[in-house]
Amino acid sequence: MAPLETAGHSLEPVAAGVGLTHEDAVRSLDRSRVFHARRHGRHWSLLWLLAGPGILAMLGENDGPSMISYAATGATYGTGFFVPFIAVTFAMAIICQEMCMRVGAVTHRGYGELVLQRYGKVWGWFSAGDLAFTNLVTLIAEFVAIRVGMAYFHLGAPVAAALGVVLVLFTMSGGRYWRWERIVLGMALFNGLFLISAILVKPHWGSVAHALTFTPFPGGSFNTLLLLLASTIGATVTPWMIFFQQGASADKGMTSADIKHGRWDTVAGGVLAAIFGIGALLAGAALLTHNGANIPDHGLAGAGFPAAIRAVSGGPAATVFALGLIEAGAVAVLTISASTAYAAGECIGVSRSFNNSPRHALIFYLANAGVALIAAAIILIPGAPLLSIALNANVLAAVLLPVALVFVVMLANDRDLMGKWVNKRSTNVIAITIIAFVAIFAAAYGIDSFLGTVHIIGAG
Amino acid sequence: MTAPRDINTTPRASAQQPRRPSEGAELIMFLEQEQLVSDRAIAVPQARLGGRAQAALWLLRIFALIVSFMVIYTFVAQLS
Repeated sequence: MAPLETAGHSLEPVAAGVGLTHEDAVRSLDRSRVFHARRHGRHWSLLWLLAGPGILAMLGENDGPSMISYAATGATYGTGFFVPFIAVTFAMAIICQEMCMRVGAVTHRGYGELVLQRYGKVWGWFSAGDLAFTNLVTLIAEFVAIRVGMAYFHLGAPVAAALGVVLVLFTMSGGRYWRWERIVLGMALFNGLFLISAILVKPHWGSVAHALTFTPFPGGSFNTLLLLLASTIGATVTPWMIFFQQGASADKGMTSADIKHGRWDTVAGGVLAAIFGIGALLAGAALLTHNGANIPDHGLAGAGFPAAIRAVSGGPAATVFALGLIEAGAVAVLTISASTAYAAGECIGVSRSFNNSPRHALIFYLANAGVALIAAAIILIPGAPLLSIALNANVLAAVLLPVALVFVVMLANDRDLMGKWVNKRSTNVIAITIIAFVAIFAAAYGIDSFLGTVHIIGAG
Repeated sequence: MTAPRDINTTPRASAQQPRRPSEGAELIMFLEQEQLVSDRAIAVPQARLGGRAQAALWLLRIFALIVSFMVIYTFVAQLS
Protein backbone atom coordinates (compact mmCIF):
# COMPACT_ATOMS: atom_id res chain seq x y z
CA MET A 1 0.00 0.00 0.00
CA ALA A 2 1.38 3.46 -0.90
CA PRO A 3 2.54 5.66 2.01
CA LEU A 4 0.07 8.38 2.98
CA GLU A 5 1.69 11.76 2.53
CA THR A 6 0.55 15.34 2.23
CA ALA A 7 2.83 18.30 1.58
CA GLY A 8 5.82 15.95 1.99
CA HIS A 9 4.79 14.83 5.48
CA SER A 10 3.66 11.31 6.29
CA LEU A 11 0.15 11.31 7.69
CA GLU A 12 0.18 7.92 9.44
CA PRO A 13 2.38 8.82 12.46
CA VAL A 14 0.53 12.12 12.92
CA ALA A 15 -2.80 10.31 12.77
CA ALA A 16 -1.66 7.69 15.25
CA GLY A 17 -0.36 10.44 17.52
CA VAL A 18 -3.77 12.06 17.77
CA GLY A 19 -5.68 8.78 18.06
CA LEU A 20 -7.04 8.56 14.53
CA THR A 21 -7.58 5.32 12.67
CA HIS A 22 -6.02 4.30 9.38
CA GLU A 23 -9.36 5.02 7.70
CA ASP A 24 -9.29 8.57 9.08
CA ALA A 25 -5.72 9.04 7.85
CA VAL A 26 -6.57 7.87 4.32
CA ARG A 27 -9.66 10.05 4.15
CA SER A 28 -7.66 12.93 5.54
CA LEU A 29 -5.16 12.59 2.71
CA ASP A 30 -7.94 12.92 0.13
CA ARG A 31 -9.43 15.85 2.02
CA SER A 32 -6.03 17.61 2.18
CA ARG A 33 -6.10 17.85 -1.63
CA VAL A 34 -9.60 19.32 -1.54
CA PHE A 35 -8.51 21.75 1.20
CA HIS A 36 -5.51 22.99 -0.79
CA ALA A 37 -7.43 23.22 -4.08
CA ARG A 38 -10.13 25.29 -2.38
CA ARG A 39 -7.65 27.50 -0.55
CA HIS A 40 -5.77 28.27 -3.77
CA GLY A 41 -8.95 28.80 -5.80
CA ARG A 42 -8.23 25.93 -8.21
CA HIS A 43 -11.81 25.41 -9.32
CA TRP A 44 -11.23 22.76 -12.00
CA SER A 45 -9.02 20.78 -9.66
CA LEU A 46 -11.74 20.99 -7.01
CA LEU A 47 -14.33 19.75 -9.46
CA TRP A 48 -12.07 16.83 -10.45
CA LEU A 49 -11.44 15.94 -6.81
CA LEU A 50 -15.08 16.11 -5.76
CA ALA A 51 -16.63 14.44 -8.83
CA GLY A 52 -17.44 10.79 -8.47
CA PRO A 53 -20.44 9.57 -6.47
CA GLY A 54 -23.01 11.39 -8.62
CA ILE A 55 -21.57 10.37 -11.99
CA LEU A 56 -21.06 6.81 -10.77
CA ALA A 57 -24.60 6.51 -9.41
CA MET A 58 -26.11 7.82 -12.66
CA LEU A 59 -23.87 5.99 -15.13
CA GLY A 60 -23.97 2.92 -12.89
CA GLU A 61 -27.73 2.98 -13.28
CA ASN A 62 -27.30 3.10 -17.05
CA ASP A 63 -26.66 -0.56 -16.47
CA GLY A 64 -27.18 -3.70 -18.49
CA PRO A 65 -30.91 -4.19 -17.80
CA SER A 66 -31.54 -0.46 -18.26
CA MET A 67 -29.85 -0.39 -21.65
CA ILE A 68 -31.67 -3.58 -22.66
CA SER A 69 -34.93 -1.95 -21.44
CA TYR A 70 -34.24 1.19 -23.50
CA ALA A 71 -33.35 -0.87 -26.57
CA ALA A 72 -36.49 -3.02 -26.09
CA THR A 73 -38.56 0.15 -25.78
CA GLY A 74 -37.02 1.60 -28.94
CA ALA A 75 -37.56 -1.67 -30.81
CA THR A 76 -41.22 -1.79 -29.71
CA TYR A 77 -42.30 1.86 -29.88
CA GLY A 78 -39.58 3.78 -31.74
CA THR A 79 -38.33 7.14 -30.52
CA GLY A 80 -41.65 8.91 -29.98
CA PHE A 81 -42.73 9.57 -26.39
CA PHE A 82 -39.88 7.62 -24.79
CA VAL A 83 -37.05 10.04 -25.71
CA PRO A 84 -38.54 12.85 -23.62
CA PHE A 85 -39.75 10.30 -21.05
CA ILE A 86 -36.15 9.18 -20.44
CA ALA A 87 -35.09 12.81 -20.08
CA VAL A 88 -37.87 13.37 -17.52
CA THR A 89 -36.95 10.26 -15.51
CA PHE A 90 -33.33 11.40 -15.30
CA ALA A 91 -34.49 14.82 -14.12
CA MET A 92 -36.34 12.90 -11.38
CA ALA A 93 -33.17 10.96 -10.63
CA ILE A 94 -31.18 14.19 -10.25
CA ILE A 95 -33.67 15.50 -7.67
CA CYS A 96 -33.55 12.24 -5.67
CA GLN A 97 -29.80 11.76 -5.87
CA GLU A 98 -29.05 15.37 -4.93
CA MET A 99 -30.90 14.78 -1.66
CA CYS A 100 -28.83 11.64 -1.00
CA MET A 101 -25.56 13.46 -1.73
CA ARG A 102 -26.59 16.35 0.53
CA VAL A 103 -27.58 14.08 3.43
CA GLY A 104 -24.34 12.09 3.06
CA ALA A 105 -22.17 15.22 2.89
CA VAL A 106 -23.83 16.91 5.87
CA THR A 107 -24.20 13.90 8.20
CA HIS A 108 -21.16 11.89 6.99
CA ARG A 109 -23.32 8.80 7.34
CA GLY A 110 -24.89 6.35 4.91
CA TYR A 111 -28.61 5.95 4.23
CA GLY A 112 -28.91 2.54 5.91
CA GLU A 113 -27.38 3.57 9.22
CA LEU A 114 -29.37 6.82 9.38
CA VAL A 115 -32.70 5.05 8.76
CA LEU A 116 -31.78 2.35 11.27
CA GLN A 117 -30.66 4.77 13.98
CA ARG A 118 -33.14 7.57 13.39
CA TYR A 119 -36.32 5.63 12.63
CA GLY A 120 -35.69 2.30 14.34
CA LYS A 121 -34.46 -1.17 13.51
CA VAL A 122 -37.67 -2.30 11.82
CA TRP A 123 -37.44 0.34 9.08
CA GLY A 124 -33.66 0.02 8.86
CA TRP A 125 -33.80 -3.72 8.28
CA PHE A 126 -36.74 -3.42 5.87
CA SER A 127 -34.64 -0.99 3.82
CA ALA A 128 -31.63 -3.29 3.95
CA GLY A 129 -33.80 -6.28 3.03
CA ASP A 130 -35.29 -4.43 0.03
CA LEU A 131 -31.82 -3.48 -1.07
CA ALA A 132 -30.34 -6.96 -0.64
CA PHE A 133 -33.19 -8.48 -2.65
CA THR A 134 -33.29 -5.93 -5.49
CA ASN A 135 -29.50 -5.81 -5.64
CA LEU A 136 -29.23 -9.56 -6.05
CA VAL A 137 -31.87 -9.59 -8.79
CA THR A 138 -30.30 -6.58 -10.49
CA LEU A 139 -26.81 -8.06 -10.22
CA ILE A 140 -28.04 -11.22 -11.92
CA ALA A 141 -29.39 -8.98 -14.67
CA GLU A 142 -25.99 -7.20 -14.89
CA PHE A 143 -24.24 -10.50 -15.44
CA VAL A 144 -26.94 -11.31 -18.01
CA ALA A 145 -26.02 -8.09 -19.84
CA ILE A 146 -22.31 -8.95 -19.77
CA ARG A 147 -23.21 -12.40 -21.05
CA VAL A 148 -25.35 -10.95 -23.86
CA GLY A 149 -22.51 -8.63 -24.89
CA MET A 150 -19.92 -11.38 -24.73
CA ALA A 151 -22.10 -13.84 -26.65
CA TYR A 152 -21.78 -11.49 -29.61
CA PHE A 153 -18.03 -12.19 -29.52
CA HIS A 154 -18.72 -15.94 -29.11
CA LEU A 155 -17.68 -15.94 -25.45
CA GLY A 156 -19.76 -17.99 -23.04
CA ALA A 157 -21.41 -17.43 -19.67
CA PRO A 158 -18.38 -18.61 -17.62
CA VAL A 159 -16.23 -15.85 -19.15
CA ALA A 160 -18.92 -13.27 -18.36
CA ALA A 161 -19.22 -14.50 -14.77
CA ALA A 162 -15.45 -14.55 -14.30
CA LEU A 163 -15.00 -11.05 -15.73
CA GLY A 164 -17.50 -9.52 -13.31
CA VAL A 165 -16.07 -11.25 -10.26
CA VAL A 166 -12.44 -10.47 -11.17
CA LEU A 167 -13.34 -6.80 -11.66
CA VAL A 168 -14.96 -6.64 -8.22
CA LEU A 169 -11.93 -8.26 -6.58
CA PHE A 170 -9.47 -6.07 -8.51
CA THR A 171 -11.16 -2.73 -7.84
CA MET A 172 -11.69 -3.33 -4.13
CA SER A 173 -8.06 -4.22 -3.53
CA GLY A 174 -5.82 -1.34 -2.53
CA GLY A 175 -7.57 -0.02 0.56
CA ARG A 176 -8.45 3.36 -0.96
CA TYR A 177 -11.87 4.79 -1.82
CA TRP A 178 -10.14 7.18 -4.22
CA ARG A 179 -8.53 4.32 -6.19
CA TRP A 180 -11.81 2.40 -6.40
CA GLU A 181 -13.72 5.50 -7.50
CA ARG A 182 -11.25 6.53 -10.21
CA ILE A 183 -11.05 3.05 -11.74
CA VAL A 184 -14.84 2.72 -11.89
CA LEU A 185 -15.21 6.32 -13.12
CA GLY A 186 -12.79 5.60 -15.96
CA MET A 187 -14.76 2.51 -16.93
CA ALA A 188 -18.11 4.31 -16.64
CA LEU A 189 -17.19 6.86 -19.30
CA PHE A 190 -17.35 4.01 -21.85
CA ASN A 191 -21.13 4.17 -21.34
CA GLY A 192 -20.78 6.65 -24.21
CA LEU A 193 -20.48 3.63 -26.51
CA PHE A 194 -24.28 3.61 -26.67
CA LEU A 195 -24.24 7.09 -28.17
CA ILE A 196 -21.71 5.93 -30.78
CA SER A 197 -23.91 2.92 -31.48
CA ALA A 198 -26.89 5.24 -31.98
CA ILE A 199 -24.91 7.35 -34.46
CA LEU A 200 -23.81 4.22 -36.34
CA VAL A 201 -27.40 3.00 -36.87
CA LYS A 202 -28.01 6.31 -38.69
CA PRO A 203 -31.30 7.34 -37.09
CA HIS A 204 -33.49 9.99 -38.65
CA TRP A 205 -32.40 12.95 -36.50
CA GLY A 206 -35.44 14.97 -37.52
CA SER A 207 -37.68 12.31 -35.94
CA VAL A 208 -35.56 12.35 -32.79
CA ALA A 209 -35.87 16.13 -32.54
CA HIS A 210 -39.62 15.83 -33.13
CA ALA A 211 -39.86 13.19 -30.36
CA LEU A 212 -38.47 15.75 -27.90
CA THR A 213 -41.69 17.72 -28.32
CA PHE A 214 -43.55 14.88 -26.58
CA THR A 215 -45.34 12.80 -29.16
CA PRO A 216 -48.59 11.13 -28.10
CA PHE A 217 -48.76 8.21 -25.71
CA PRO A 218 -47.88 5.06 -27.67
CA GLY A 219 -50.51 2.43 -28.46
CA GLY A 220 -50.28 -1.35 -28.57
CA SER A 221 -50.53 -3.83 -25.68
CA PHE A 222 -51.42 -1.98 -22.49
CA ASN A 223 -49.52 -4.43 -20.29
CA THR A 224 -46.37 -4.26 -22.43
CA LEU A 225 -46.58 -0.48 -22.35
CA LEU A 226 -46.92 -0.50 -18.54
CA LEU A 227 -44.00 -2.94 -18.27
CA LEU A 228 -41.79 -0.68 -20.38
CA LEU A 229 -42.90 2.47 -18.54
CA ALA A 230 -42.29 0.92 -15.10
CA SER A 231 -39.07 -0.62 -16.29
CA THR A 232 -37.88 2.71 -17.77
CA ILE A 233 -38.57 4.40 -14.42
CA GLY A 234 -36.79 1.55 -12.65
CA ALA A 235 -33.93 2.01 -15.09
CA THR A 236 -33.38 5.55 -13.83
CA VAL A 237 -33.95 5.75 -10.08
CA THR A 238 -33.40 2.70 -7.87
CA PRO A 239 -32.88 1.83 -4.19
CA TRP A 240 -29.23 0.91 -4.72
CA MET A 241 -28.45 4.40 -6.07
CA ILE A 242 -29.76 5.89 -2.82
CA PHE A 243 -27.57 3.66 -0.65
CA PHE A 244 -24.63 4.09 -2.99
CA GLN A 245 -24.50 7.84 -3.44
CA GLN A 246 -25.08 8.64 0.22
CA GLY A 247 -22.58 5.99 1.38
CA ALA A 248 -20.00 6.98 -1.23
CA SER A 249 -20.37 10.70 -0.43
CA ALA A 250 -19.66 9.92 3.23
CA ASP A 251 -16.82 7.52 2.37
CA LYS A 252 -15.27 10.09 0.03
CA GLY A 253 -15.28 12.53 2.93
CA MET A 254 -17.56 15.16 1.41
CA THR A 255 -18.74 17.92 3.70
CA SER A 256 -21.39 20.62 3.56
CA ALA A 257 -18.76 22.87 1.93
CA ASP A 258 -18.72 20.48 -1.04
CA ILE A 259 -22.46 20.45 -1.71
CA LYS A 260 -22.22 22.84 -4.67
CA HIS A 261 -19.72 20.57 -6.40
CA GLY A 262 -21.71 17.51 -5.38
CA ARG A 263 -24.67 19.02 -7.21
CA TRP A 264 -22.58 19.56 -10.34
CA ASP A 265 -21.38 15.98 -10.09
CA THR A 266 -24.97 14.71 -9.82
CA VAL A 267 -26.29 16.88 -12.66
CA ALA A 268 -23.36 15.94 -14.93
CA GLY A 269 -24.02 12.28 -14.21
CA GLY A 270 -27.74 12.67 -14.92
CA VAL A 271 -27.23 14.53 -18.20
CA LEU A 272 -24.60 12.05 -19.45
CA ALA A 273 -26.76 9.09 -18.43
CA ALA A 274 -29.83 10.56 -20.20
CA ILE A 275 -27.86 11.13 -23.42
CA PHE A 276 -26.34 7.64 -23.36
CA GLY A 277 -29.70 6.06 -22.42
CA ILE A 278 -31.38 7.79 -25.35
CA GLY A 279 -28.49 6.45 -27.46
CA ALA A 280 -29.47 2.88 -26.50
CA LEU A 281 -33.10 3.66 -27.32
CA LEU A 282 -32.16 5.00 -30.76
CA ALA A 283 -30.01 1.93 -31.46
CA GLY A 284 -32.95 -0.29 -30.51
CA ALA A 285 -35.37 1.85 -32.54
CA ALA A 286 -33.45 0.92 -35.69
CA LEU A 287 -35.01 -2.54 -35.29
CA LEU A 288 -38.57 -1.18 -35.37
CA THR A 289 -38.51 0.08 -38.95
CA HIS A 290 -36.76 -3.07 -40.23
CA ASN A 291 -39.17 -5.55 -38.73
CA GLY A 292 -36.32 -6.55 -36.48
CA ALA A 293 -38.18 -6.18 -33.21
CA ASN A 294 -38.52 -9.94 -33.16
CA ILE A 295 -35.49 -10.18 -30.89
CA PRO A 296 -36.12 -13.77 -29.73
CA ASP A 297 -35.10 -14.94 -33.22
CA HIS A 298 -31.66 -13.65 -32.37
CA GLY A 299 -31.23 -15.91 -29.38
CA LEU A 300 -30.34 -15.36 -25.72
CA ALA A 301 -33.96 -15.65 -24.64
CA GLY A 302 -35.06 -12.37 -26.13
CA ALA A 303 -32.03 -10.30 -25.20
CA GLY A 304 -29.97 -10.76 -28.36
CA PHE A 305 -29.95 -7.09 -29.34
CA PRO A 306 -26.38 -6.94 -30.72
CA ALA A 307 -27.09 -9.73 -33.21
CA ALA A 308 -30.40 -8.10 -34.17
CA ILE A 309 -28.71 -4.72 -34.67
CA ARG A 310 -26.03 -6.35 -36.84
CA ALA A 311 -28.75 -7.79 -39.08
CA VAL A 312 -30.28 -4.34 -39.54
CA SER A 313 -27.49 -1.78 -39.21
CA GLY A 314 -24.29 -3.70 -39.78
CA GLY A 315 -21.38 -4.99 -37.75
CA PRO A 316 -19.83 -1.78 -36.35
CA ALA A 317 -23.05 -0.59 -34.66
CA ALA A 318 -23.66 -4.06 -33.24
CA THR A 319 -20.07 -4.45 -32.02
CA VAL A 320 -20.18 -1.08 -30.25
CA PHE A 321 -23.57 -1.94 -28.72
CA ALA A 322 -22.24 -5.30 -27.48
CA LEU A 323 -19.16 -3.63 -25.97
CA GLY A 324 -21.49 -1.08 -24.37
CA LEU A 325 -23.54 -3.85 -22.77
CA ILE A 326 -20.37 -5.41 -21.33
CA GLU A 327 -19.30 -2.02 -19.95
CA ALA A 328 -22.76 -1.21 -18.57
CA GLY A 329 -23.02 -4.56 -16.84
CA ALA A 330 -19.47 -4.43 -15.49
CA VAL A 331 -19.72 -0.91 -14.03
CA ALA A 332 -23.07 -1.72 -12.45
CA VAL A 333 -21.69 -4.94 -10.95
CA LEU A 334 -19.06 -2.76 -9.23
CA THR A 335 -21.39 -0.01 -8.01
CA ILE A 336 -24.24 -2.33 -6.96
CA SER A 337 -21.87 -4.64 -5.10
CA ALA A 338 -20.46 -1.57 -3.38
CA SER A 339 -23.94 -0.39 -2.37
CA THR A 340 -24.63 -3.84 -0.89
CA ALA A 341 -21.39 -3.62 1.05
CA TYR A 342 -22.20 -0.13 2.36
CA ALA A 343 -25.65 -1.32 3.45
CA ALA A 344 -24.26 -4.44 5.16
CA GLY A 345 -21.63 -2.44 7.06
CA GLU A 346 -24.09 0.28 8.02
CA CYS A 347 -26.85 -2.01 9.26
CA ILE A 348 -24.56 -4.41 11.11
CA GLY A 349 -22.64 -1.45 12.53
CA VAL A 350 -19.13 -2.37 11.40
CA SER A 351 -16.55 -0.57 9.27
CA ARG A 352 -17.90 0.25 5.81
CA SER A 353 -15.20 1.99 3.86
CA PHE A 354 -12.94 1.31 0.92
CA ASN A 355 -10.43 3.35 2.95
CA ASN A 356 -10.12 0.47 5.40
CA SER A 357 -8.26 -2.77 4.82
CA PRO A 358 -10.16 -6.05 4.34
CA ARG A 359 -8.76 -7.20 7.70
CA HIS A 360 -10.49 -4.30 9.47
CA ALA A 361 -13.64 -4.20 7.33
CA LEU A 362 -14.18 -7.89 6.72
CA ILE A 363 -18.00 -7.79 6.44
CA PHE A 364 -17.84 -4.84 4.03
CA TYR A 365 -15.45 -6.63 1.69
CA LEU A 366 -17.17 -10.01 2.07
CA ALA A 367 -20.57 -8.50 1.19
CA ASN A 368 -19.01 -6.71 -1.78
CA ALA A 369 -17.49 -9.86 -3.26
CA GLY A 370 -20.10 -12.32 -1.98
CA VAL A 371 -23.14 -10.78 -3.67
CA ALA A 372 -21.26 -10.61 -6.99
CA LEU A 373 -20.23 -14.24 -6.64
CA ILE A 374 -23.81 -15.40 -5.99
CA ALA A 375 -25.16 -13.46 -8.99
CA ALA A 376 -22.35 -14.77 -11.19
CA ALA A 377 -23.18 -18.33 -10.20
CA ILE A 378 -26.87 -17.89 -11.08
CA ILE A 379 -26.23 -16.79 -14.68
CA LEU A 380 -24.39 -20.03 -15.28
CA ILE A 381 -27.77 -21.79 -15.09
CA PRO A 382 -28.64 -22.68 -18.70
CA GLY A 383 -31.90 -21.53 -20.32
CA ALA A 384 -32.60 -18.55 -18.04
CA PRO A 385 -35.11 -16.03 -19.55
CA LEU A 386 -32.63 -13.20 -19.91
CA LEU A 387 -34.81 -10.38 -21.29
CA SER A 388 -37.54 -11.13 -18.78
CA ILE A 389 -35.05 -11.11 -15.89
CA ALA A 390 -33.62 -7.79 -17.06
CA LEU A 391 -37.01 -6.06 -17.40
CA ASN A 392 -38.47 -7.47 -14.18
CA ALA A 393 -35.36 -6.50 -12.21
CA ASN A 394 -36.06 -2.89 -13.14
CA VAL A 395 -39.77 -3.19 -12.33
CA LEU A 396 -39.03 -4.63 -8.88
CA ALA A 397 -36.64 -1.77 -8.23
CA ALA A 398 -39.39 0.68 -9.19
CA VAL A 399 -41.91 -1.07 -6.88
CA LEU A 400 -39.64 -0.83 -3.83
CA LEU A 401 -38.38 2.65 -4.65
CA PRO A 402 -41.22 4.75 -3.12
CA VAL A 403 -40.50 3.40 0.38
CA ALA A 404 -36.80 4.20 0.07
CA LEU A 405 -37.54 7.66 -1.32
CA VAL A 406 -39.90 8.52 1.53
CA PHE A 407 -37.05 7.97 4.00
CA VAL A 408 -34.69 10.05 1.85
CA VAL A 409 -37.20 12.93 1.99
CA MET A 410 -37.64 12.46 5.75
CA LEU A 411 -33.88 12.53 6.32
CA ALA A 412 -33.41 15.53 4.04
CA ASN A 413 -36.08 17.38 6.08
CA ASP A 414 -34.66 16.42 9.48
CA ARG A 415 -33.50 19.76 10.84
CA ASP A 416 -31.65 18.13 13.76
CA LEU A 417 -29.48 16.25 11.29
CA MET A 418 -29.33 18.67 8.40
CA GLY A 419 -29.45 22.10 10.03
CA LYS A 420 -29.76 24.77 7.35
CA TRP A 421 -29.26 22.16 4.61
CA VAL A 422 -32.83 20.82 4.91
CA ASN A 423 -34.97 20.55 1.77
CA LYS A 424 -36.64 23.63 0.39
CA ARG A 425 -40.41 23.49 0.08
CA SER A 426 -40.16 23.30 -3.73
CA THR A 427 -37.81 20.28 -3.47
CA ASN A 428 -40.31 18.54 -1.20
CA VAL A 429 -43.19 19.17 -3.61
CA ILE A 430 -41.17 17.75 -6.52
CA ALA A 431 -39.92 14.79 -4.45
CA ILE A 432 -43.42 13.83 -3.27
CA THR A 433 -44.71 14.11 -6.85
CA ILE A 434 -41.91 11.78 -7.97
CA ILE A 435 -42.78 9.25 -5.25
CA ALA A 436 -46.45 9.27 -6.30
CA PHE A 437 -45.51 9.00 -10.00
CA VAL A 438 -43.23 6.00 -9.41
CA ALA A 439 -45.74 4.28 -7.11
CA ILE A 440 -48.61 4.69 -9.61
CA PHE A 441 -46.71 3.29 -12.61
CA ALA A 442 -45.17 0.39 -10.66
CA ALA A 443 -48.54 -0.50 -9.09
CA ALA A 444 -50.33 -0.22 -12.45
CA TYR A 445 -47.98 -2.75 -14.04
CA GLY A 446 -47.98 -5.06 -10.99
CA ILE A 447 -51.78 -5.12 -10.67
CA ASP A 448 -52.52 -5.32 -14.41
CA SER A 449 -50.07 -8.15 -15.05
CA PHE A 450 -51.16 -10.05 -11.92
CA LEU A 451 -54.85 -9.83 -12.81
CA GLY A 452 -54.02 -10.93 -16.35
CA THR A 453 -51.97 -13.85 -15.07
CA VAL A 454 -54.71 -15.12 -12.76
CA HIS A 455 -57.21 -14.56 -15.64
CA ILE A 456 -59.35 -12.02 -13.79
CA ILE A 457 -58.88 -9.70 -16.76
CA GLY A 458 -57.78 -10.48 -20.30
CA ALA A 459 -54.04 -10.40 -20.86
CA GLY A 460 -52.69 -7.47 -22.87
CA MET B 1 -12.78 26.98 5.83
CA THR B 2 -10.55 27.18 8.90
CA ALA B 3 -7.14 25.56 9.16
CA PRO B 4 -6.83 22.01 10.51
CA ARG B 5 -5.95 21.55 14.18
CA ASP B 6 -5.08 18.82 16.62
CA ILE B 7 -7.80 16.43 17.78
CA ASN B 8 -6.80 16.65 21.45
CA THR B 9 -8.02 20.22 21.73
CA THR B 10 -11.39 19.55 20.11
CA PRO B 11 -14.32 19.18 22.53
CA ARG B 12 -16.58 16.19 21.94
CA ALA B 13 -20.26 16.85 21.59
CA SER B 14 -22.95 14.98 23.45
CA ALA B 15 -24.19 11.79 21.80
CA GLN B 16 -27.74 12.51 22.96
CA GLN B 17 -28.42 15.33 20.52
CA PRO B 18 -27.26 15.26 16.92
CA ARG B 19 -24.90 18.11 16.22
CA ARG B 20 -26.19 20.54 13.69
CA PRO B 21 -23.86 21.00 10.76
CA SER B 22 -22.07 24.30 10.62
CA GLU B 23 -20.10 25.97 7.90
CA GLY B 24 -16.41 26.50 8.49
CA ALA B 25 -16.18 23.71 11.05
CA GLU B 26 -12.73 23.28 12.54
CA LEU B 27 -10.66 20.56 10.98
CA ILE B 28 -8.58 17.79 12.49
CA MET B 29 -6.04 16.67 9.92
CA PHE B 30 -8.35 18.04 7.21
CA LEU B 31 -11.39 16.19 8.59
CA GLU B 32 -14.38 17.63 10.41
CA GLN B 33 -14.79 16.07 13.83
CA GLU B 34 -18.01 14.33 12.78
CA GLN B 35 -16.15 12.64 9.92
CA LEU B 36 -13.88 10.75 12.30
CA VAL B 37 -14.48 7.03 12.64
CA SER B 38 -14.83 7.43 16.39
CA ASP B 39 -17.58 10.03 15.97
CA ARG B 40 -19.41 8.07 13.30
CA ALA B 41 -19.52 5.11 15.67
CA ILE B 42 -21.83 7.13 17.94
CA ALA B 43 -25.43 6.54 16.90
CA VAL B 44 -27.67 9.52 16.16
CA PRO B 45 -30.63 9.61 18.56
CA GLN B 46 -33.89 8.04 17.41
CA ALA B 47 -36.54 10.40 16.08
CA ARG B 48 -40.09 10.22 17.41
CA LEU B 49 -42.54 9.39 14.65
CA GLY B 50 -46.17 10.34 15.18
CA GLY B 51 -48.99 7.84 14.85
CA ARG B 52 -50.02 9.14 11.42
CA ALA B 53 -46.47 8.98 10.12
CA GLN B 54 -46.09 5.39 11.38
CA ALA B 55 -49.41 4.41 9.82
CA ALA B 56 -48.47 6.02 6.49
CA LEU B 57 -45.13 4.23 6.48
CA TRP B 58 -46.77 0.88 7.21
CA LEU B 59 -49.35 1.46 4.45
CA LEU B 60 -46.57 2.22 1.98
CA ARG B 61 -44.64 -0.82 3.14
CA ILE B 62 -47.65 -3.13 2.75
CA PHE B 63 -48.36 -1.62 -0.68
CA ALA B 64 -44.76 -2.30 -1.77
CA LEU B 65 -44.89 -5.88 -0.50
CA ILE B 66 -48.20 -6.65 -2.23
CA VAL B 67 -47.10 -5.17 -5.57
CA SER B 68 -43.72 -6.94 -5.27
CA PHE B 69 -45.57 -10.21 -4.76
CA MET B 70 -47.68 -9.52 -7.86
CA VAL B 71 -44.63 -8.77 -10.01
CA ILE B 72 -42.76 -11.86 -8.77
CA TYR B 73 -45.86 -14.08 -9.19
CA THR B 74 -46.35 -12.87 -12.76
CA PHE B 75 -42.66 -13.39 -13.54
CA VAL B 76 -42.70 -16.95 -12.16
CA ALA B 77 -46.02 -17.76 -13.88
CA GLN B 78 -44.59 -16.59 -17.21
CA LEU B 79 -41.64 -18.95 -16.78
CA SER B 80 -43.85 -22.02 -16.68
